[in-house]
Amino acid sequence: MTRVRRYLPWYAFVLPPFALFLLFVIYPTLEAFGLSFSRQVGAEQRFAGLYQYSRLVGDNVFVSALFNTVLLGVAFLVIVIPLSVVLASLINSLARRSTIFKVIYFLPQVTSAVAVAVVFNYVFQPDWGMLNTLLRSAGVDPLPLWLADPRISLTGSRAAATILAVYVGLGYFMLIVLAGLQSISVELYDAAAIDGAGHFQAWRYITLPSLRPTFVFLLITGSIDAMARFSDLWTLGGPGGTPARSLQTIVMYMYQTAFVGFDFNLAAAIAVVFFLIVFGLTLVSFRRLLADGVRRRRVAALGPGLITDRDPDMEAGA
Amino acid sequence: MTRRSNGTRGRVASLRASRRGMERLRQLAILAILSIGAIAMILPFEWMIATSLSRAANVGMPLYPRFWPPDPSFFNYMVALTNLPILRFYLNSVIVVGATTVGYLFFSSLTGYAFAKGRFPGRNILFIAFLVTLLVPFEMRMIPLYSLMRDLHLNNTLAALIVPFLVGGFGTFLMRQYITTIPDDLVDAARLDGAGEFAIYRHVILPLCGPVLAALAVINIIWRWNDVVWPLLAVSDRSNYTVTLGLAFAARGSQGIYVGVALATAVLAVLPVVVIYIILQRHIVRGITLTGIKG
Repeated sequence: MTRVRRYLPWYAFVLPPFALFLLFVIYPTLEAFGLSFSRQVGAEQRFAGLYQYSRLVGDNVFVSALFNTVLLGVAFLVIVIPLSVVLASLINSLARRSTIFKVIYFLPQVTSAVAVAVVFNYVFQPDWGMLNTLLRSAGVDPLPLWLADPRISLTGSRAAATILAVYVGLGYFMLIVLAGLQSISVELYDAAAIDGAGHFQAWRYITLPSLRPTFVFLLITGSIDAMARFSDLWTLGGPGGTPARSLQTIVMYMYQTAFVGFDFNLAAAIAVVFFLIVFGLTLVSFRRLLADGVRRRRVAALGPGLITDRDPDMEAGA
Repeated sequence: MTRRSNGTRGRVASLRASRRGMERLRQLAILAILSIGAIAMILPFEWMIATSLSRAANVGMPLYPRFWPPDPSFFNYMVALTNLPILRFYLNSVIVVGATTVGYLFFSSLTGYAFAKGRFPGRNILFIAFLVTLLVPFEMRMIPLYSLMRDLHLNNTLAALIVPFLVGGFGTFLMRQYITTIPDDLVDAARLDGAGEFAIYRHVILPLCGPVLAALAVINIIWRWNDVVWPLLAVSDRSNYTVTLGLAFAARGSQGIYVGVALATAVLAVLPVVVIYIILQRHIVRGITLTGIKG
């Protein structure tokens, strides 16, 4: 009796939020699996095994959306990681306060991918956009078409989308690399200086190896982010990824299938495939970060889950 | 990286002086590179503001870059404000962000406290249930969530933008990790004084959670303010749009026609966030580094 009374406040704390959680997080997740194994017959859902998945396999639009997602993600990471390392190293070696640079580089992240996409839609306009007017002043001819050119090229729509992503994400990547740089012990550099190592050697043999956990973290969370890319590309070209589906990612195709084609079952199958990819990447990151936690006290103290860059809830939601 | 060049003893004075000169040169070069980068980051914003202040931009855009309006006026802003219920969008965003932040912080800290300090049957299973969903991205469940909202008759209401985001695995986990580090003695002492669990939560735990609550609030505000995927699904009536969704639609509708007005709309949508960011930049930047989470 007294024991029950002792438990009571804890249940009062936990159960009401858990009820919300059950309804808005757990139930829809299970329902997505359920829908993906069903088909609509009249007004009811019937079990259909892997039927929806078999439709996906032969679906060229899905395959090309998957290809776009991966291509855009790889291009983004290949550019943003080296760039953020260079910028973070420069900021780290500034003798005076560097807050102003951090604030400016992080600004596009705060103003949201949508707002930046709206602006960049005009920046990339082929005739009078900011970028092409600057290129015209510099004597470039012919001018690139950017978002009007669906081909895979360094001046096409995918290149423009990658420039946009780098512009938005650079500040965040830089802050994380900077945190990594500042956790490297100064003694290491002192020892290297005594051994006669120059700036570059210290950077090559101390800085880069010490940043390995940071790279792994950014690589994996960056990939997960890239897999879920939607807002900015939707703002640029709608759910179809205009021009010519060149900017359609799998989440955009999922959205289009559900809310333009009204095929919720196929959309659920896309959702499950998307989940499996992200789940795989997350598992790798959790294992890596747990291993790194032994080395990095900050991670160990806060717990590995904190270091997931993708907002696991809403975006995640809940 | 630079600090190690200091404090080496027994150097010849002149060598030291030339080193200092080199170091100053290096600092200048670094400042120059970083400044060029910073200008590149700001330039699109500057161009957006300049164009939004030009009435002529609606008729024809110049073929060479112009970073200052030839005919500065607020005409485009007047049009943007009468064209679109932007103030309404603002109100919606403020309601959604305010309600979710209050609810999210409250429920996260409450469950976090229970999971960190409570002893009750089923605690671990419940906590694991919260944790496991961290692995499930929102996009995975957004379609069934949309159907659920329709069945609850919440679709196309602001409530649909709020209720799914009151409780989350991430907030619960973050708070639980943080509260675990608070010594049990503090809680036990309050309990001996006869305080109930809620009083302990309210008067002992919460006051100690300031920094982590601030970080969580900042993250939640950025998420909710900038989210476009869920509002796109959940609300269809323009009077329920958030600022971000309204901006996305407005820009797509008038693309290429009235550039000045479209960019004035973009400025109106972005400006408050930028102002708040500049005021709170220290906390935001620290919150990002503390949690590793971005917007």
